[in-house]
Amino acid sequence: MSVFEFEEEEFTGRIDNKSITRILAQALPHWKWLIGFLLAIALVSILDSYFTFLSKRIIDEGIIPGDRSALVDIVIIYGILLVVQAIGVLAFIYLAGVLGERIRYDLRKRLFDHLQKLSLTYFNRTPVGWIMARVTSDTERVAELVTWGLLDITWAVLNIATAAYFMILINWRLALLVLAIVPLLAIVAIQFRKKILLEYRRVRKINSRITASYNENITGVKVVKALGREDINMREFGELTSQMYRASYRAAWLSALFLPTVQLISSFALGGIVWYGGLQTQIGIMTIGGIQAFISYITFMMWPIQDMAHVFAEMQHAVASAERIFSLLDTEPDIYDQPDAIDPGTLKTDIEFRNVDFTYKDGEPVLSNFSLTIKHGETIALVGPTGGGKTTIINLLCRFFEPNKGQIFIGGRNYLSIQLYALQSRIGIVLQSPHLFSGSIRDNIRYGRLSASDEEIEQAARLAGAHEFIITLEAGYDEEVGEGGNLLSVGQKQLISLSRAILAQPDIFIMDEATSSVDTLTESLIQKGMHTLMEGRTSIIIAHRLSTIKRADRILVIEDGRIMEMGTHSELLQARQHYYQLYTRQFRRELEVEYDPFAYTKTTSFKS
Amino acid sequence: MSGFRLIYLGATTSQALAAVSKTSTYLLLRYLIDNVIEYPDAPRLLPLFALAFIGLAIIEGFFTFTSGRLAAQTAEGIALRLRNFLFDHIQRLSFTYHDKTRTGELIQRSTSDVDALRRFFSEQAIGIGRIILLFLINFIALINLNWQLALYSVVVIPLVVYTSYLFFKRIIVAYEKYQEQEAILSTNLQENLTGVRVVKAFARQSYESEKFDQQNWEKFVRGRHLLTMHSFFWPVSDILCGFQMLAGFLIGALMAIDGTITVGTFLAYVGLIVWLIWPMRNLGRFIVQTSTGLVSYQRVMNVIKEERELLIEPDFHATQNIRGEIEFKNVSFEYEGSSKVLREITFHCNPGEVVALLGSTGSGKTSLVNLLPRFYDYTHGSIKLDGIELKKYSRQFLRDHIGIVEQEPFLFSRTIRENITYGLGREITQGEIESAARAAAIHDVILSFPDGYDTLVGEKGVTLSGGQKQRVAIARTLLKDPRILILDDATSSVDMETEAEIRNALERLMEGRTSFIIAHRIQSVMNADLILVLDKGRIVQQGKHDDLVESEGMYRQVFELQTRIEEELKLEINTSQDGTKGLDT
Repeated sequence: MSVFEFEEEEFTGRIDNKSITRILAQALPHWKWLIGFLLAIALVSILDSYFTFLSKRIIDEGIIPGDRSALVDIVIIYGILLVVQAIGVLAFIYLAGVLGERIRYDLRKRLFDHLQKLSLTYFNRTPVGWIMARVTSDTERVAELVTWGLLDITWAVLNIATAAYFMILINWRLALLVLAIVPLLAIVAIQFRKKILLEYRRVRKINSRITASYNENITGVKVVKALGREDINMREFGELTSQMYRASYRAAWLSALFLPTVQLISSFALGGIVWYGGLQTQIGIMTIGGIQAFISYITFMMWPIQDMAHVFAEMQHAVASAERIFSLLDTEPDIYDQPDAIDPGTLKTDIEFRNVDFTYKDGEPVLSNFSLTIKHGETIALVGPTGGGKTTIINLLCRFFEPNKGQIFIGGRNYLSIQLYALQSRIGIVLQSPHLFSGSIRDNIRYGRLSASDEEIEQAARLAGAHEFIITLEAGYDEEVGEGGNLLSVGQKQLISLSRAILAQPDIFIMDEATSSVDTLTESLIQKGMHTLMEGRTSIIIAHRLSTIKRADRILVIEDGRIMEMGTHSELLQARQHYYQLYTRQFRRELEVEYDPFAYTKTTSFKS
Repeated sequence: MSGFRLIYLGATTSQALAAVSKTSTYLLLRYLIDNVIEYPDAPRLLPLFALAFIGLAIIEGFFTFTSGRLAAQTAEGIALRLRNFLFDHIQRLSFTYHDKTRTGELIQRSTSDVDALRRFFSEQAIGIGRIILLFLINFIALINLNWQLALYSVVVIPLVVYTSYLFFKRIIVAYEKYQEQEAILSTNLQENLTGVRVVKAFARQSYESEKFDQQNWEKFVRGRHLLTMHSFFWPVSDILCGFQMLAGFLIGALMAIDGTITVGTFLAYVGLIVWLIWPMRNLGRFIVQTSTGLVSYQRVMNVIKEERELLIEPDFHATQNIRGEIEFKNVSFEYEGSSKVLREITFHCNPGEVVALLGSTGSGKTSLVNLLPRFYDYTHGSIKLDGIELKKYSRQFLRDHIGIVEQEPFLFSRTIRENITYGLGREITQGEIESAARAAAIHDVILSFPDGYDTLVGEKGVTLSGGQKQRVAIARTLLKDPRILILDDATSSVDMETEAEIRNALERLMEGRTSFIIAHRIQSVMNADLILVLDKGRIVQQGKHDDLVESEGMYRQVFELQTRIEEELKLEINTSQDGTKGLDT
């Protein structure tokens, strides 16, 4: 699988009606808000045109005949309508804005809830960044289109229509002359907008390369210095920034040309008004106020045109965003409860893998014809080289994936007929790269059992050997762990994730290299807790640590998806086969690490 | 920023000229109404006037465009210069600086802060200029039409500017809060996605949904608050500006009826007033944005003010190739503002010898070797290379002659070929690359990748294991062919299969070079010409393996410990053979 297929696609295809309908459907549950803001913007738009018409009446009915009372009347109407319009403005900003927020909220909620249902296969295939972009920026664009986009279009269309109406009312011949340029304006404006948008996308792309460049050069600054690469790096970076300069200068240049061009086109209409309107005034068909009104209409015509162009240019991308969102929402989870799935109440039973085959998507087979029976309460240790299939066995048992062939039985029942929740909530799993969530240590341990009391949390932490380091922290159990837990060391994270699994009181307990980064002293602390924990529970342990493995009831050497050897520690050592070799090579190193003050496994890195 | 002043002046002048043409349009209209339209020779003059209007529009358009273009040239030019300068500056800052500065912080300053400055020049500065110029020029025109009317028309403007300033000041705060919540939301999402196995393992899907929903809702609430502010400001400023305009209309119309001003003047007034009042609503925004631009300016300046380390000075170059004789005499070193990391280090090694450094974490091994390429400068004592004080050599010269291989070397997201030839500064033939890769025992691995030497390393290409990265670094160092070699912890965490290969590659690399090895295991230092045992920044023992084993001290303790481990292992296997359980029950 390559990540390239997930890079931001360029959508240049046609917009089909089905997507548009589906996009608009996002606003339907809140149709009152939609109608509300459309009415408000219609009011504002019509009044905008009407004000120009009122100015014409001030001139023609007030100033030219010298009628003060008519003047005052018109001004009063004007004033009242100003207030009415202000209310309209208040209404459309609030309604459209809040509706937009609401649609964002709805879409994100639906996406997030849907993501919770999808299986690990999907997450293995799809980069996190891709999903993030769907939930964040794509929802943003769709919400913008349904609210401000729709609003801009409504405003622009109504504004042009009412302006056209008043112009025709004033002088239809001149109006037709002026309106003839509107399509031209619209086409030019839209083309411009599209070009500008394209340029900005290019700018954004280069920009992300610049950021990556900074990132690499700063994190790798030691290598750069050691190899004296400064000058070459600078030259390469200079090429990148020159590209950036050219692209963004071009984008800015196009933007700067946009308004003057639109204005220039409308100035021809202005010339027409002066010439033709002037002649009409001569013969008394046109008033001075009329000329003034025409000039105003044509001068301000560029705003609705610009808005329309803006929306049309953005529309394609917003629709593309929407299509990506819908494609995510339409993805069916491939692991789900069968309709007659049941909750067996407990998993304290035997487990059997029967002739299981498994292959990850477009990969080589990991397990083939794999069979294994685990008795209730047994402790099984899986050892063997990386990539041999140890973690896959666990993934299948947890039903993160399902076997391609063969079955897994739990308590004599095919586990596909057990509810996912019933299965997964009774398995406690501790992973090698422990994942913590932002929040306090307490929150993270409680994740194992949400109803646990503070005392129970502390008890679990004691069993896991985490209590000792937690109480040395300034805020104790309330200490924040940071994003992804990165304020703690890997070893500390492992202890917390162990506490979390202990708190869950699972029927089946799984550890995948769970204590690999814990120091020797703490490790021995954990041993006692683990012993208590494993009593009466089925446990499956993947570990490198000798002390953990030795205690297992059975050790399985897994290589190339098969069980190469099986037995107790001493049985396997005597056999002098695979386990013996692993043991002498790998575990010797471990002993050294344990006893040798100089040996320290942490990577020494330049950045602290 | 110098060199752009003239261009920027041009941008401002163009803006003024554009504003003048706009104003002239209305003054021309006034003349047209008052002196042409109702007179008999109008039919002859009207086409000329029509052309004049178009002409003015062309002039206005030209200057608007020019000003936008010049402003862009300034802003983009300054951004280009800043980016280049910062990039180069950052890679030339000392390690001391990099140690105390977080990567994210530096990246943010070089990208988003630079962008804020770019926007200041392309939008805010030019925006403020535009609004003020429009105001001034139109106001002068208005005063010329009728000064009383002009004064009446600007009464409300200070109020508009003030409210808009206050509003945008608060809106920025509200907007930041909204963005903060957005960041929280995406962090939460990201954690949920990266921790998807944990979520599923504990079957916490509904709990996660609930948590996300809470934060999502909080964002909705903050968004609504932001919109409430907007939905009050804009109508209020609409009413303020609208009534100001209307009052102007009324007064102007009354004056026109009285004959104080002509109809043409009134028409020109109606046109001009729009450009005087409405832009003022945005002045507050630009002023507030400018203040955030200033913050960015400060942050960028703080980086720029840092002093670079000198690369080519002093310009002492050894006339011939250096031999690699090194002598430390009472060398001490401390990081800025912390206690001594190295104390009174004294030792001597001949060209081509192997010096091994042994000691626990934090004993100063890495700090000691970091002094050689002058990543840090020693604070006391003297280090001599070929009899000449190290500080007399330029950093660049030293780094050209010292090769470093680390435990997990940093590779760049480029092709493997580029990573091997990185920093060599000369053309390298494919043959040379391949023979270096063969010597480093990485050639076959590289060929197994789909694109061979052109395979990309890192996120978008293949992920190399620690051992593979290390061998790429060895190949690179072989090509560099340095006189002095530093192996920083190069053998400690490699997988079993490759350990022998790496060991061989390293031995090939060390041949004939003065080498410094940082190691953990006695086995890997036994053959060294000089072993230094470090503890808390001091050399506690030095000598050859045979001598050190004979005398009391840390070295012998560790040696005995490691021997004991070997024995325990044998014992364990033997007892297992007897059918009893092993150790530790």
